[in-house]
Amino acid sequence: MAGIIGVRGLCKSYGNLKAVQDISFTVVKGEVFGMLGPNGAGKTTTMEIVEGLRESDSGSVEVLGLNIKRDSRHIKARIGVQLQATALYPYLTVSEVLDLFGSFFPKALPVEQLLGLVKLEDSRRKLCTHLSGGQQQRLSVALALVNDPEILFLDEPTAGLDPQARHSIWEVVEFARQREKTVFLTTHYMEEAERLCDRVAIIDYGQIIATDRPEGLIAQNFREEAIEFDLAHRIEKEGLGGLAGAANVVMENGKVTVYSTLVSATISALLELAKKRNVQLADLRVHRATLEDVFLKLTGRRIRD
Amino acid sequence: MKALLKLLVAHIKQFSRQRAALFWTIAFPIFFILLFGALFSRSDSTTFSVGMVNEDNSSLSQGLVMAFKNVSAFDVHEGGWDAESDALKKGDRRAVIVIPAGFEQSILQKSQDTVTVYYDATESTSQQVVLPIVHQVVGGFDRAIADAPALIQVENRTLQSRHLRSIDYLVPGILAMALMQLGIFAAAPLVVDRQNRVLKRLGATPLRRSTLVISTVIFRLLIAVCQAALIIVIARLVFHVPMLGNWFFLVGVVLLGTLTFLSLGFLMSAFAKTEETVMPMLMVVQFPMMFLSGIFFPVDMMPEFMRPILNAMPLTYLGDSLRQIMVGATPLHSHYINLAVLGGWFLACLIGAVRFFRWE
Repeated sequence: MAGIIGVRGLCKSYGNLKAVQDISFTVVKGEVFGMLGPNGAGKTTTMEIVEGLRESDSGSVEVLGLNIKRDSRHIKARIGVQLQATALYPYLTVSEVLDLFGSFFPKALPVEQLLGLVKLEDSRRKLCTHLSGGQQQRLSVALALVNDPEILFLDEPTAGLDPQARHSIWEVVEFARQREKTVFLTTHYMEEAERLCDRVAIIDYGQIIATDRPEGLIAQNFREEAIEFDLAHRIEKEGLGGLAGAANVVMENGKVTVYSTLVSATISALLELAKKRNVQLADLRVHRATLEDVFLKLTGRRIRD
Repeated sequence: MKALLKLLVAHIKQFSRQRAALFWTIAFPIFFILLFGALFSRSDSTTFSVGMVNEDNSSLSQGLVMAFKNVSAFDVHEGGWDAESDALKKGDRRAVIVIPAGFEQSILQKSQDTVTVYYDATESTSQQVVLPIVHQVVGGFDRAIADAPALIQVENRTLQSRHLRSIDYLVPGILAMALMQLGIFAAAPLVVDRQNRVLKRLGATPLRRSTLVISTVIFRLLIAVCQAALIIVIARLVFHVPMLGNWFFLVGVVLLGTLTFLSLGFLMSAFAKTEETVMPMLMVVQFPMMFLSGIFFPVDMMPEFMRPILNAMPLTYLGDSLRQIMVGATPLHSHYINLAVLGGWFLACLIGAVRFFRWE
């Protein structure tokens, strides 16, 4: 594997907090690589070290075959960076900000093309201070595309966006993929990671706990399907674990997930149990295991907590 | 280079689109001038106090003195040269007219002689009203005593008075104050940009930090020059405040003063994390300087124990320097000292800013 990004043994602490603990991974040229984990897991810190915006305590980072500490300026000319929640020049228009950023790079895409990529054509003359949250986020992604970068870094690009705005950012990732660009993104949306990423690294408490293709991660961890429901009353875990076909049970805040290899048998046993104990099963669903289930199985927690 | 120009244009666009910024940098100093000007302007009296020095003491010269006394607009005071020239310097006379010894004799011999008018060039009413009257009176007297070609010449001479009108004193001070604010208030957007992670975002591009700083400095210097021009023009048009000195020297001092306070602003921005902390810091620095460094009233009105504070503040030196250049005020310090102190503050703040400033 020819790594366009190579990270070895990366560590970073803030005082007593170990934000990143001995992280290593490789991103291959042309892939969409996602880092998936809850807030505070160390995703942003890792990404900003790779972008050359933060210094690591130890470990090595190579980007485009160059050392991030020595050749930072050369690397920055060839990558595109979107940061979480940046408020830029409130009294410049969208077009003006894109034009200004273009001047910082040796080469830049035309403003028109950038506006089209993130669907901001109608807002080109709007002052940044008058943009909605979704529009600002799209502008921020457009700014990351200004220099037609070889690697596109997106840090939680769709956090807090409505579905429509989220879609237009996904299209940008698809556009980059088609042009054989490399994309490195972080997210805490499972659906996003499953849909966009060629490979996903699951990160928790500053450590990578699994890295693979999304289907690979699911297949490795589950042959079962997931039965989910909400419980108004407590049922002891042992009772559920004894259900026919149940392989594993995770209970969390009144939400129960039973992983089963024999879904129909498990469900009828479950309904019987509920009737006998006189409890309500609300919001009963069956689905194939997802990355959410993988995270739940590996960490015992849901990602959005 | 391309980035520098674009950043400069971006600064100007951002600035011109913010009404608050426009108000504080453009309207506020002018408002000050108009307000103080209206408060302090002498009400235009219809009589002008004029000194007469009659060195000839002949009947002809007394006739000329009488001719001046008949001018209703003139309040004529006769006296010796020393007393009258002092009165002019103090601002008690608008002009002093000197009739030379041997005046009558020259005229009787049909040869020319010269009456000299001393006036203060900074007093525009002297030039516009008093001098023409003097010329008219002498001309009329001349025609009355001889129909031959004019025998009595009038020579105008300037004599700088040390007494400035309040408005003359104020205008250079208000310019200094405006430049100080322009400089130190550069700290606020810098802190906001750091807080909003704009500086971090720019740090993710190949843009050099020096380019960013230089663009801010050039932008502020441009505004400084425009502000100075505007203040000088308004002061001149509305209150007839003169601009006596060398324009190049003036621009040089305006730029040096702005640079000094810019570096002070950058230094302060190194010690504030948020917009909420930087604003009180700026106020704490700006208010003592505004009121103690002789901007609104002369420092000799201040109690002795405050002198060390006044002597430490850069605004004292910028104000003094601008007053000397613009209206020829009596120096507190020589130009060399003013420039040296401003330069010293500039370098010290610059070194501090480079040492302590954090980009994130």
